[in-house]
Amino acid sequence: MDRRTFVKATGVAGIAGLAGCSGGPSGGSEESTETATEESGGDGETETTAAETTASGPAANIGMVYATGGLGDGSFNDQAQQGAIEAEEDLGISFNEAQPEQVSEFSTFQQQFAQSTDPVYDLICAIGFLQADAVTETAESYPDQDLMIVDSVVDAPNVASYTFKEHEGSYLAGLMASMLTTRDYSAGAGSTAGDSTNVGFVGGVESDLIRKFQAGFEAGVSEGDGDVDVLTNYVGGFNDVAGGREAATAMFNSGADIVYHAAGNTGTGVFQAAQEQGGFAIGVDRDQSITKPSYSDVILGSMVKRVDTAVYNAIESVVNDNFPGGSAVSLGLEAEGVALVYGDELGSEIPQDVQDEVASARDSIIAGDISVPSSVQ
Amino acid sequence: MSAADRARAVLTRLVEASAIERILISTAALVLSILIGTAIVLVAGRMTTCAATDAVYYLGTGFCYDPVVVFDRLFLGALGEPFSGNWSPDGQFAVTLRETTLLVFTGLSVAVAFRAGIFNIGTQGQMVVGAMATAVAVLWASSFVSGALGTVLLIPFGVLVGAVFGGLYGTLPGLLKAYADANEVITTIMLNFIATGVTLYLVSGPFKDPGSAANQTVPLPEFARFPSLLFGSRQDFSLVAFAIGILAIGGLYYVIEHTAFGYDVRTSGIQPEAAEYGGVDAAKTVVASLTLSGALGGVAGAMYVMMILGTFQTGLPSYGFDGITVSILAGNNPLGVGVAALLFGILKSGTTVVQFATDVPPQLVGVLRGLIILFVAMPEFFRLLGRRLSPSGPERNPVATDGGRREGETDE
Repeated sequence: MDRRTFVKATGVAGIAGLAGCSGGPSGGSEESTETATEESGGDGETETTAAETTASGPAANIGMVYATGGLGDGSFNDQAQQGAIEAEEDLGISFNEAQPEQVSEFSTFQQQFAQSTDPVYDLICAIGFLQADAVTETAESYPDQDLMIVDSVVDAPNVASYTFKEHEGSYLAGLMASMLTTRDYSAGAGSTAGDSTNVGFVGGVESDLIRKFQAGFEAGVSEGDGDVDVLTNYVGGFNDVAGGREAATAMFNSGADIVYHAAGNTGTGVFQAAQEQGGFAIGVDRDQSITKPSYSDVILGSMVKRVDTAVYNAIESVVNDNFPGGSAVSLGLEAEGVALVYGDELGSEIPQDVQDEVASARDSIIAGDISVPSSVQ
Repeated sequence: MSAADRARAVLTRLVEASAIERILISTAALVLSILIGTAIVLVAGRMTTCAATDAVYYLGTGFCYDPVVVFDRLFLGALGEPFSGNWSPDGQFAVTLRETTLLVFTGLSVAVAFRAGIFNIGTQGQMVVGAMATAVAVLWASSFVSGALGTVLLIPFGVLVGAVFGGLYGTLPGLLKAYADANEVITTIMLNFIATGVTLYLVSGPFKDPGSAANQTVPLPEFARFPSLLFGSRQDFSLVAFAIGILAIGGLYYVIEHTAFGYDVRTSGIQPEAAEYGGVDAAKTVVASLTLSGALGGVAGAMYVMMILGTFQTGLPSYGFDGITVSILAGNNPLGVGVAALLFGILKSGTTVVQFATDVPPQLVGVLRGLIILFVAMPEFFRLLGRRLSPSGPERNPVATDGGRREGETDE
């Protein structure tokens, strides 16, 4: 084939391919169908319709600055985005997103939102504790800008801080694990042997935040049965599937039946190990038996952290003009900020007495009868 | 003419290209990469869905992403809207220069090793070590001084500490190469991991800031950071650091082109055996150039700590690896490093502007960025390759001796 034929063929194929692509404008949106019909005019018209939409106006403009993992992590950032999407549907706000690639970009994006005049952003949501320093700076430079931060506390009159009592949810996970590992129990693809009394905890990177998960889990385990040991391993990364798998396999081999992880995507390796070794795992952040359906036969439950609730609440307060600037909210079991949800597939097979025990422990924590340590003893 | 011959002819032509021709080639490559990027943005715009009001229309077809806006934001946005009339010193341009400053140092670091014929992939690790050392040392020293005097004393001190520790960390693979014949590519890569791991241990244990949830050192006081003169205070940019970068470019250019040490470095890079025959101490040159390279990487780390973050935090951005590309882009010429770092800085800071202004996902912007760099770097890369493969010019043609073969003959 000589060059000219080749070029011609590629050209034709390319154009045909482009036209055949299923996407393009007006493919997805429902509300834009009427505007789409009068659309064909051209650029000028596009702009007027766009202007009309903004004139009718969203209830608030929200800027989202995600943590460095970016969207699509299946847990933390996606959960935060979920809150913004819910607010968009319920409250009619509109939001713009930024996904920083590195720590120094946090302040860049926060300032871009704060400086923007078209539109003016009513609230900037900073997701993740690494943004704390940048939020402190931005809040100082732009005293009229409302900000919210998840997972850290920033003391400034225009910042609302939302943290979670991860140790409380982890306590329930520990309690469940401890009660199941001491009996002969099998469900889905896993089983526990009553005579082995080990459970495991796999953490991502060792930090105060992840140690809160560990502390709560250990407290819950020893509450369920004082003889059960917790094997602990920090893999050193939140995106190290192979490392998580190795760590969990070692735990299963040394007698653990159930492994809890607080390690982001590293946890996928924990699920893989559970499936191979016929053990169980407990997920984190979101209901992972749904977000990782191929492992739902080994996921007993997940300790969900409702970042979406925090984002939604903050946005709602801005819409209602009662933004709690300067406040620090710690969302625990009571406000559904954290919760233990049972697995989609295995949930129905968890014995009733375990479920009752977990439910009563939850009530006692809310009532203040049990106080869960937030740091490892 | 066979394909191989044709390829060799093209390479030879590239090697012989004059400076103006090289600039023209690079510009053409830039334009070509933008054209291909445009096509990719258009195709990606067809593969996603969006509201009709958000779309742009070319030739009667709607596209979700507008390549004109993307490239306009990528370049003009990074320069802080020079044509809009409200160019502000606190704008995005300061971010661009901030990134440029760091890339100048990492680029020079890689370039100086390259000139000595050493492929230093360890700039990242040397930067991490320099950054950590600076953060700890300056924090310790900042308790003795304060105010303007503190700034005057601590800035040079911090840069020096960064240079010394980064330099020592560069000496290590240098010694291994010179005296143990260890391949520097392997050792420098491995030392990167060691640097990351050891600093993570130090910063999550002995030197951890108890007041922060992140793995970081106690933040430096304001006076121990680079002062922001004239502009960029909100963007963590300092003209002082930028000026040091310019000085470093000039200084390194002088050292390489006009000193005895530079002569040793250059000759070792071109033809190590000949250099040694001519009296160059090869081992010493290897160690010295890797130390200098590491020192420049360490200074980049010091800048990152004292200008941008104000503390050492794990997970430093990959300026060190970007430095390799910057250096190749610049043909390993210190003066070229300045220009290449600026291009890189524009692309890096422009990416954030594109993300903010459009719905284009950051991954797609990353693809465009990579395309531009690939296209601009490739002619230079092939030039370097060509210089190795096909000696050109009449004076360099091999002289046939008894038993020698003329060009074109093969015996296999």
